[in-house]
Amino acid sequence: MSDYANASIFKEGPEVWVVDGLRSPFAKSGTVLKDMKAVALGVHVLRDLLYKLSLAPKEVDEIVIGNTGNPEDAANISRIVALEAGIPKERSAYTVHRNCASAMEAVSQGFIKIKTGLADVVVAGGTESMSNLPLLFSKPMTELFTKLMTAKTVPQKLGVLSSFRPQFLKPIIAIQEGLTDAVCGLNMGETAELLAKENNISREEQDRFALKSHERAVVATESGRFKAEISPIPLPPKYDTFLSEDVGPRKGQSMEALAKLKPYFDRRNGTVTVGNACPITDGSCMLVLMNAEKAKALGYKPLGRIRSFAFAGVEPERMGLGPAYSSPVALDAAGLTLKDMGVVEINEAFAAQVIAVLKMLASKKFAQEKLGRSDAIGEIADNVLNPNGGAIALGHPVGATGARLVLTALKEMQLKNIQFGLATLCIGGGQGGSVVVERV
Amino acid sequence: MEITTNRREAEHRGKQATMKPEPSSFRLVDKSDLAKGLFALYFDLAGEKVNKFNPDTMMELDGLLESMKTRDDIKALVFLSGKENIFIAGADITYIQAVKEASEGERLAKQGQSVLQKLERMPFPVVAAVNGACMGGGTELALCCKYIVVSDAPGTKIGLPEVNLGLLPGWGGTVRLPERIGLQAALDFILTGKTMDGPKALKLGYADACFSRYGFEAKALGFGARVARGEKISRPARKKPLAATVTSALLEENPIGRAVLFMQARKMILARTRGHYPAPLKILDVMSKSYGKPRGKALEIESKAFGELSFSDVSKRLIELFFATEKVKKQTGVSGARLQPGEQIQSAGLLGAGVMGGGIAQLLAHKGIPVRMKDIDLKGLAIGTSAATRLFSDLVKKRKMTRREADIRFALISPTTDYSGFGRADLVIEAIVENMDVKKKVLQEVEPLLREGATIATNTSSLSVSGMASACAHPENVVGMHFFNPVHRMPLVEVIRAEKTSDRAVMRIFELSKRLGKTPIVVRDGAGFLVNRLLMPYLNEASYIMSEGAPIEELDEAVLDFGLPMGPAHLLDEIGIDVAVKVAKILHEAFGVRAEPCKLNDRLVASKLYGKKTGQGFYVYDSRGRKQNLNPEIYKTLGIKPSAPSKARKADWIPRMTYLMINEAALCLAEEIVMEPLDVDLGMIMGTGFPPFRGGLLRYADTVGLKNIVTKLEEFEKKFGPRFKPTAPLVDRARQGKSFYS
Repeated sequence: MSDYANASIFKEGPEVWVVDGLRSPFAKSGTVLKDMKAVALGVHVLRDLLYKLSLAPKEVDEIVIGNTGNPEDAANISRIVALEAGIPKERSAYTVHRNCASAMEAVSQGFIKIKTGLADVVVAGGTESMSNLPLLFSKPMTELFTKLMTAKTVPQKLGVLSSFRPQFLKPIIAIQEGLTDAVCGLNMGETAELLAKENNISREEQDRFALKSHERAVVATESGRFKAEISPIPLPPKYDTFLSEDVGPRKGQSMEALAKLKPYFDRRNGTVTVGNACPITDGSCMLVLMNAEKAKALGYKPLGRIRSFAFAGVEPERMGLGPAYSSPVALDAAGLTLKDMGVVEINEAFAAQVIAVLKMLASKKFAQEKLGRSDAIGEIADNVLNPNGGAIALGHPVGATGARLVLTALKEMQLKNIQFGLATLCIGGGQGGSVVVERV
Repeated sequence: MEITTNRREAEHRGKQATMKPEPSSFRLVDKSDLAKGLFALYFDLAGEKVNKFNPDTMMELDGLLESMKTRDDIKALVFLSGKENIFIAGADITYIQAVKEASEGERLAKQGQSVLQKLERMPFPVVAAVNGACMGGGTELALCCKYIVVSDAPGTKIGLPEVNLGLLPGWGGTVRLPERIGLQAALDFILTGKTMDGPKALKLGYADACFSRYGFEAKALGFGARVARGEKISRPARKKPLAATVTSALLEENPIGRAVLFMQARKMILARTRGHYPAPLKILDVMSKSYGKPRGKALEIESKAFGELSFSDVSKRLIELFFATEKVKKQTGVSGARLQPGEQIQSAGLLGAGVMGGGIAQLLAHKGIPVRMKDIDLKGLAIGTSAATRLFSDLVKKRKMTRREADIRFALISPTTDYSGFGRADLVIEAIVENMDVKKKVLQEVEPLLREGATIATNTSSLSVSGMASACAHPENVVGMHFFNPVHRMPLVEVIRAEKTSDRAVMRIFELSKRLGKTPIVVRDGAGFLVNRLLMPYLNEASYIMSEGAPIEELDEAVLDFGLPMGPAHLLDEIGIDVAVKVAKILHEAFGVRAEPCKLNDRLVASKLYGKKTGQGFYVYDSRGRKQNLNPEIYKTLGIKPSAPSKARKADWIPRMTYLMINEAALCLAEEIVMEPLDVDLGMIMGTGFPPFRGGLLRYADTVGLKNIVTKLEEFEKKFGPRFKPTAPLVDRARQGKSFYS
């Protein structure tokens, strides 16, 4: 097991700064961003960011991008985004996939590269177009195609064709497969249901949490708070309007409206609805990480520095609890505690899941039994947690969210002059990921 | 006669050759290691970057073919180019330009025909291996080979562009291309001068095989080896859709069908050229006469027609124009100076994302230059992004690029509402509202943000560049870059040198314009620069003529007959009548009585009929901006009664409008607004579509005769007013019996 808490990388070596970041507005899949592929989303944001920073593309040493639904026409999407955004072809680029934490993995990769002196300037981010995930042919249909191609004579071909059965045409829906745990077999929503039931989290509690997410996101949008992190994007196919705000936050959201929704994953006894879960989303987010000395030499001021990160495993069926496992480790590595955190961004995959995490963090029993610690990790004040709303309102473009959480936390810290922040999320497959950042 | 001079020259060189051997342009190489009897013949014109045919090379080729004719060790020959990315660029047209009578041109054609016919009749099979540009004579040479193999390189472009020079293919192209790819397809290529790439050549049946550009030579030699071994090489069966087979049977393979085909083509050409261009008509004539005739007879028809065209005025003008544009390609914008390496524009910022701004951004992105595009708000920006997208989509629709290529280029345009990123740009182009105070303010805002030495270009069409530069700390970096509307279609850029503009700034914009595929001319700062200064008196005079009651459509029609692409009323609608009035006012302030504006257009402006952009002007436009009928209310709005003009009055229309331009151009030259008459002609042809077959405004003036023009202007002065007073430089030239070009 990785010993993050005692790792020298968090104690020695150059400081790693997040110089700045930008993200696209987020939009529910199948809506306004549906005609924009993951590559285009990433290129737009990265180009804008490099211009915003007036950073010459040749200064970038490495580009690491998170993406989970790898587009069929963009193997190693990071490289394609890099080239199209004008990063010189001599630079290298790679794509990382840690499911929901892919972009957070990109950030930690950037951190490692800079700490170890392998790079001075790293673009770390994520891009995801869940609208563009394909339908796939079933295995028998694929085999039939293969045989048909190798069949030489007409009788042979007819023979192959005669093996066709209508059920071969039933497509595999890539996104559905992606959101189902391959090991425990539960859909992500079902894992949230499990947490709700085990921890007695009521429907009302979840809906109230969801409502708050919308309310806060609406305020952040209307006050212009998100302008600092959003790159307005012209919309295909005509590019004659710009999207400059997230589509998700609902101004008129109410408990009544949320209460009307049927449980989605467990129709009969469930409490998890599409209203208290995050929507499937398109979006991208990019950060520029730099060796502090290099940044100073180039004349940049940082948003903040990365103090530590940690990833930790958890049972796949309880993947939602991930942040409760990884956050204490990351805090230890930074030499800080939860109460030091002036802002905490927990990704809202499901309201039930975030509430469960809060309960675990506050639980002495959990600390003792699961983490082998004597005391509870601590509580998170309401105004510290997701002060601008979260994924329930904004959406969760899986491969990009990890970077968005870091960016949103840092922008909040800049605005409110907060010293420490934590960004954390749960990871499909049963993991948690956490990053601790600090204002410089 | 040119031919004999050249022969004499050749003989002269021949004498020298006894001392120093003439460098040979052909190299015969034994390739029997690949197949017994396989030879390769490389064409590698000595001392030149490209392969061209001139009388010397033709003579050398002739001798070589003569000597190979009797060699029985040659089983197959592959004809290759020794140059990279070029097969044969065609015949050296300086020789055609020098032709002084029809018989001379005819002889030039016959000489080439006989050499190529020798190639066609070689006792062994010849394979033409075409990789790179293959034009005119090159295409005709390949047609004389038994097999043609081509490469898939984007630079492989095969065509017969002679028509663009007012000529026709004179070395058997009109005879052999229809044999090879069918009459209809051949007509299409020969009448338009368009080119085909490798895959298309294979599809049309021009080529027998298309190989990858990588390792092309080896593959072509491999093909030759198969030929040498006597392998049977069947042409890839052309899959013709039934419809094509039927049309070809109906149209090409029976005389009535052919007559229909030629008649239709003729109609189309006349509609498009109004009979001003003899070459396409001649081509039809030749091809209808020679189709199906025995080779010798057919070639004779061709060479005779070539001779006639080669000494025609139109051809002379078009060839001059060709050389003029070639000359610009070699210039830098400042005589005797060159841009330092690394000084080329690699990145740009653009201020003002209107339709014009979007067009400029698209052009830059199309050529691979990243653009940061700014406007004050997202609504303004969207006009630019959507304009750029439309242009890219049109290119995709026309199959000039794939959707993916278009997406990649479009992504080079990064929209913004602040100045971020401008510090990275080598060049900032301003395309904001035409208002001096606003422009000055914006330049003052942006200049301190730029890197040292960044060039600031203004796309103003009417304001003083020097005036704008005065607002900047470094006026030496400020230069005009005047694109014409629509940016993607108009080939001219006026590079405006203001009082303090540095040579470097001029050269950077000159070089960039060329890279963008435009023809730049350097113009000194002054009201209207060159093109608008000349165009406005023309449009103004058109308004005067209309105010006298000339029927608007008849006037436009007369101008079309003269050869301009658009009548003045239609052009005013395109420019925007409000804009035209504004520019006319500026010119009036600058030039006084010479540019006294006709009041007619004010009435349209008062009723907000601005032309195309408002859907109504002199004409009515549909929602997509296509011209419909004459505005039915127009005469009422203008307060005039149209009446059919007398013949004499109508005969004055064109001289009134064009002589005013010539009068002004004489002054432009005297004031050194531009340095050469050629600049005026290029500017007017590229910027306004002044008829190329007339060679441009000043060539036209020379054809009419300056004395005649002055006389006519004096007559007009008496009749219509002082705006016609001949300018001193024109009068001087006329008095000295000089023309503009002498």
